[in-house]
Amino acid sequence: MIDSFFDFFLTLALPHGRGRGRTAFSHPGGKGRGCLLMLCMLILFAPSLSYSSTLRLKDEVGREVVFPFPPKRIVSLAPNITEILFCLGLDEEVVGVSIHCNYPEKVKSRVRVGSYISIDFERVISLKPDLILATGAGNPKEVVERFNTLGFPTYVIFPKRFDGVLQSIRHIGQVVGKEKDALRVIESMNQRRERIVHLTGGLSRPKVFLQVGDSPIVTVGRGSFGDDLIRLAGGENVAGREREMYPRLGREDILKRSPEVILISSMNPNGDYERIFREWERWKMIPAVKQGRIHLINSDLIDRPSPRIIDGLEEMARLLHPETFKK
Amino acid sequence: MRILTLKKVIAVSLLLTLFLGWVILISVMVGSVRVDPRQSLSILLRYVLSLKPTEHEMEETIILSLRLPRALLAGLVGAGLSVSGTIFQALLRNPLADPYILGVSSGSAVGAIIALLLGLSAYSFGLPLASFAGALITIALVFYFGRQGGRVHPNILLLAGVITGSFLSAIIMFFLSISQKEELHTIIFWLMGDFSFANPRSLIIILPYFGVGFSMLYWKSRQLNLILSGEENALQLGVEVERLKILSYLCASLITAASVSLCGLIGFVGLIIPHAARLLFGPDHRLLLPASALIGASFLIACDSLARTILAPVELPVGVITAAFGGPFFIYLLRRRKVVKTL
Repeated sequence: MIDSFFDFFLTLALPHGRGRGRTAFSHPGGKGRGCLLMLCMLILFAPSLSYSSTLRLKDEVGREVVFPFPPKRIVSLAPNITEILFCLGLDEEVVGVSIHCNYPEKVKSRVRVGSYISIDFERVISLKPDLILATGAGNPKEVVERFNTLGFPTYVIFPKRFDGVLQSIRHIGQVVGKEKDALRVIESMNQRRERIVHLTGGLSRPKVFLQVGDSPIVTVGRGSFGDDLIRLAGGENVAGREREMYPRLGREDILKRSPEVILISSMNPNGDYERIFREWERWKMIPAVKQGRIHLINSDLIDRPSPRIIDGLEEMARLLHPETFKK
Repeated sequence: MRILTLKKVIAVSLLLTLFLGWVILISVMVGSVRVDPRQSLSILLRYVLSLKPTEHEMEETIILSLRLPRALLAGLVGAGLSVSGTIFQALLRNPLADPYILGVSSGSAVGAIIALLLGLSAYSFGLPLASFAGALITIALVFYFGRQGGRVHPNILLLAGVITGSFLSAIIMFFLSISQKEELHTIIFWLMGDFSFANPRSLIIILPYFGVGFSMLYWKSRQLNLILSGEENALQLGVEVERLKILSYLCASLITAASVSLCGLIGFVGLIIPHAARLLFGPDHRLLLPASALIGASFLIACDSLARTILAPVELPVGVITAAFGGPFFIYLLRRRKVVKTL
């Protein structure tokens, strides 16, 4: 009774053709047809939406996550997660990515769901994801909690240091049902790392200053990916004893530590590196400046905990020990 | 000046309520995901009449769990800030006064930062509770500093508030510059105002502050009018001026504290809406209070709808929109008023 009154009200309130898309529901009297249509759609899509089971796992921050396995519609909230997913051979499954995701090329065609912090929840919901992947280093807890209350399973990774990246790749492999591929990726990354460590083992370790921010000058301290890479690539981080992950150092302090190589991370694509280079040129007493060993390094390769971090390691080793890696 | 009748108050309130309802409807219909307007309306009506839900699960989540709570929260905060701005302007006799002028916002920001540094934000209400506590302490301190000889002097209260606020801002800057915690980035977003985490619980938290505060203030609105015509005058007419000032200070501050601790700093609303309402409906608080509450609610909901749609998927801080649209509109109101006067 109320129902039909309600439909009647709707017809009064909104004359036909006013709303652009006519849905099965809002069309009075079209309800039966709507149901039939739904049924047909269900039958049509049933095979493609069948999951073999549900999976219950603890994520990297200790939350329990339950989700259909293997997930078929995944939203990634961070660029390193997106890279890992594509690296494991997923493609169609990645339906939404963050605005920071710029690799591989294919992400260009995916729906953008927001930045690390400001997420367009509507858009995520409209993608009907069966799993959301987030990172503890970037996505605020509130975002994860929000998805939880909205009923979307969210798996959080939180890689720390180089080995943490390998672990996160393995975990994501488990979560998306690509464990074998994950192990293969990890194996090859391990081999490439061993090679670098082996080749740089007996060499002298140059003092390295890795600049990740300009005005104020920010570098990498203990526990950061950059610090790990410098050590693995056979260098010594001049800020390696700083307790902060990303300490701010004054120019004086850097002069005193007299780095032999200065690496400038390309924090943003339109960065004014010429100016930063020139700024360093003024300090001839720094060994790195005297010997002209100031280099630019792609920041996506060194501060993004993704499979490409191994490329960053090799690049860094080349810059620190050019004579060893000439060919 | 024409005499204000109850009829006029009711008529204006009703009209503005209708307008508010319309704004809420529009706000629920727009977003980064297109939902058919008819469908939005039917989902909404079914929810209000508590009929059985439709089969459109996705659209329902978007409308009922995201857009509706958000619009309602923005409305409550907009109404609260406007009412509290109206009161502060009257209490301090200063047209520049806004809800944050007495340092409530800085106090609650300090509370939030301390909660983040101590890791209290891990608990689901740690952050809003801590920032509310910070705001309460600030309210008490400013009140203590601003009272002399048992009397509240508007100018001394104003100075005490501004100085306390700057002192607390220094503390905020200090923490922001020395801390390495990534979580402090959330503080920056929070300082810009954020409705994206609106849910029914936040509505339930903020409603009593606004409800009780507004009722108290409205109950005293006739006396507030008398105070504006001069304290001596009001005293002679039997108004307990000091008690009234304390009451209005507390009500306005508590409303502000509740909204800041939940949604952060949303500028401009509390400054311009009271002026706009005053220009439109005159200075009588019996009409001014409900009018600015309703206009403030509609204004903030509209601004928030814009903030979350124009650059989607990225959301703009709502303060950017309130300032961008509120400023010119306010100038227009000022100019028009001038023209009317010179005629």
